[in-house]
Amino acid sequence: MTKQLTYGAAALAALSIMAGSVQAQETVIWWDFLSGGDGVRMKQLIDDFNAAHEGEITIDATTLEWGVPFYSKVQTSVAVGEAPDIMTYHASRIPLAVDQGVLQPLTAEDFEAMGVSEADYAPATWDAVTVDGQQYALPFDTHPIVLYYNKDILEANGLLTEDGLPVGLDSREAFTDTLMQLKEAGVQFPLASVTADGNFMFRTIYSLMAQQDGELMTDGEFLAGDNAEKLTNALSVLQEWTNEGLQSTYTDYPATVALFTSGEAAMMINGVWEVPTMTDLQEQGNLFEWGAVELPVIFDHAATYADSHAFAIPANQGSEMTPEKRAAVLEVMGWMAQNSLFWATAGHIPAYGPVTESADYQSMEPNATYSSLTENMIFDPKTPLAGVAGPIFDVMATYFVPTLNGEMDPAEAVDEIVYELNDM
Amino acid sequence: MSNARHREWLIAFALILPFLVIYGLIFVYPTIRMFMLSFTDARLIGEGDWVGLENYTRLPGDRRFGTAFWNTAYFVLLTVVPGTLVALAIALGINRLKGRLQAAILALFFLPYILPVSVVYLIWDWTLNFQFGIAMYLFDAVGLDRIPVFKTTTWFMPAVAFVTIWWTCGFSVLLFLAGLRAIPDEIYEAAELDSSGRWTTFARITWPLLWPVTALVLTIQLISQLKIFDQVYLFSTGGRVNDNLVLVYYIFQRAFQSDQGGRAAAIAVVLFVIVVVVSVLNFQLTRLSGRSR
Repeated sequence: MTKQLTYGAAALAALSIMAGSVQAQETVIWWDFLSGGDGVRMKQLIDDFNAAHEGEITIDATTLEWGVPFYSKVQTSVAVGEAPDIMTYHASRIPLAVDQGVLQPLTAEDFEAMGVSEADYAPATWDAVTVDGQQYALPFDTHPIVLYYNKDILEANGLLTEDGLPVGLDSREAFTDTLMQLKEAGVQFPLASVTADGNFMFRTIYSLMAQQDGELMTDGEFLAGDNAEKLTNALSVLQEWTNEGLQSTYTDYPATVALFTSGEAAMMINGVWEVPTMTDLQEQGNLFEWGAVELPVIFDHAATYADSHAFAIPANQGSEMTPEKRAAVLEVMGWMAQNSLFWATAGHIPAYGPVTESADYQSMEPNATYSSLTENMIFDPKTPLAGVAGPIFDVMATYFVPTLNGEMDPAEAVDEIVYELNDM
Repeated sequence: MSNARHREWLIAFALILPFLVIYGLIFVYPTIRMFMLSFTDARLIGEGDWVGLENYTRLPGDRRFGTAFWNTAYFVLLTVVPGTLVALAIALGINRLKGRLQAAILALFFLPYILPVSVVYLIWDWTLNFQFGIAMYLFDAVGLDRIPVFKTTTWFMPAVAFVTIWWTCGFSVLLFLAGLRAIPDEIYEAAELDSSGRWTTFARITWPLLWPVTALVLTIQLISQLKIFDQVYLFSTGGRVNDNLVLVYYIFQRAFQSDQGGRAAAIAVVLFVIVVVVSVLNFQLTRLSGRSR
């Protein structure tokens, strides 16, 4: 009898301890839109986090469809209080998100709890998550576009410098000349360009605009003043390359990557997120020697368009987050920032300064070659109309595709773009 | 007597009540809300302020609405009648076959219909892709210039219409086959005795007797093609989106990309009215022309 009682008491004690630990354990519901090579790496980071916080915090992650589906779901789920505790967000979409009331603001105390501060971030990156002086997300990375190049082809044609970089990165004439020489040497596509996808080309074209200090939006007006002319200039360069047969036409995203990796194209302008594709192919012995470098300076100075993956906390309607839960979410954000070195293997440039300054990162290739562009990055204009898969994208794409493939005059395309942008 | 009728009425009401409730909840109520929404400046979520007819009055001057309207009309023109004729031709052919062969051929024509739209998109993208599409190698082989089918406004709608007919005509074929089998053999035997030719048999017997099915197929096609969205969305991704707009796509753009629920609702109401008017007209016309025969 006493024995039974003792057992009973022990069982009860055990139960209450377990119950206690269950209460202390926070489950953080996580949504992201990372389904490619970087998605695999994010899952690794999440597993590492869970292992390091066993018994305290568990991340319960779900990957959703990138783009409009993701952001529509966030908006509707916030409205009914069913959004996750943390989610990935494009910095470019933050102005729209603030307008919709989808995000919780992050305070100075929040950043302190994460163990990060403004000084750890590049000013442009920090500014990208700021609306009217208030931060709404923690930047996790920046993902610019870069110039990929096939070292074997360039070298065979004497177009590789001693540092292993392509010749002619400093002016429009020089770069066009490099492309011309490749063409004459019998390379079918000197440059692989995503000419069938205007959404994608926005990144290249906006970079070229920024190289002339052009801005898409000034004082709430699109392409005011000589900005329209700068867009025309940017489109003209790309159309010239098409007319001269220097770049692939009507090529969609997967085809562009395939043209480059199969060696049919000597160079390619694409996002840093394709770095894992190249690394993996090379490890399997299926790729030539390659490199990636900051975009060539076609106009006045270097500039590259970038967006940033950031972490944000949804402003769930009608369900207050407990302080314990919020603390757990902040711990997740801080930990991810401090452990973002691994994220660099996905090609992205970690946003957290101490990581990019570390010796480990500095010796990482090809990241180290192109990380110089962090100083020349430009982000989307701050308007609710901007952002990946936003309304600006559709207008641009509609006129970029015919222009880049030589069907439409650049000046005419810009007139139409100005009309439609201001008509939204 | 009246008591019994009363009870009968009650039972009938009880039996249709579940349907009425569900129909009211998931169709009538949202439709009424859509009409109300179209008079406000509401966003995708939440209420908005009353703006009267503004969402409607701006439509005639809205360039994207114009594009969407005419593209939808063009698409209907390219698919409804041609799609019905193709299905009829296939059904007539299959009807001549017998036994297992007939079942096998029917299955072949029906197969695309069971594919999800995303698979249909991938198959045709692989076929017509400008750089790597199989069809482009055929073009090269015969010495034709490659055509960026889904990236030019000239080819976009005809190509999507072609894919849509390929994808959906299996269902119409089934309806036509059912209609053909319902025509009694005796009539054909009698025609044969009168030594009626093939064309006369078709024009005087098959076509008139099949007319109710044809009218049904036309109506179904018309309504579903007016509501086209998926294929256009998938095939124009990244391409010339605003040149390829159709009405449902424009509703989607306004509601989900621009966060303008009110303006989206106004376009939805316009489409609703178009579908109602056109399908009633179509039904009446086909009925009348059926009678006059």
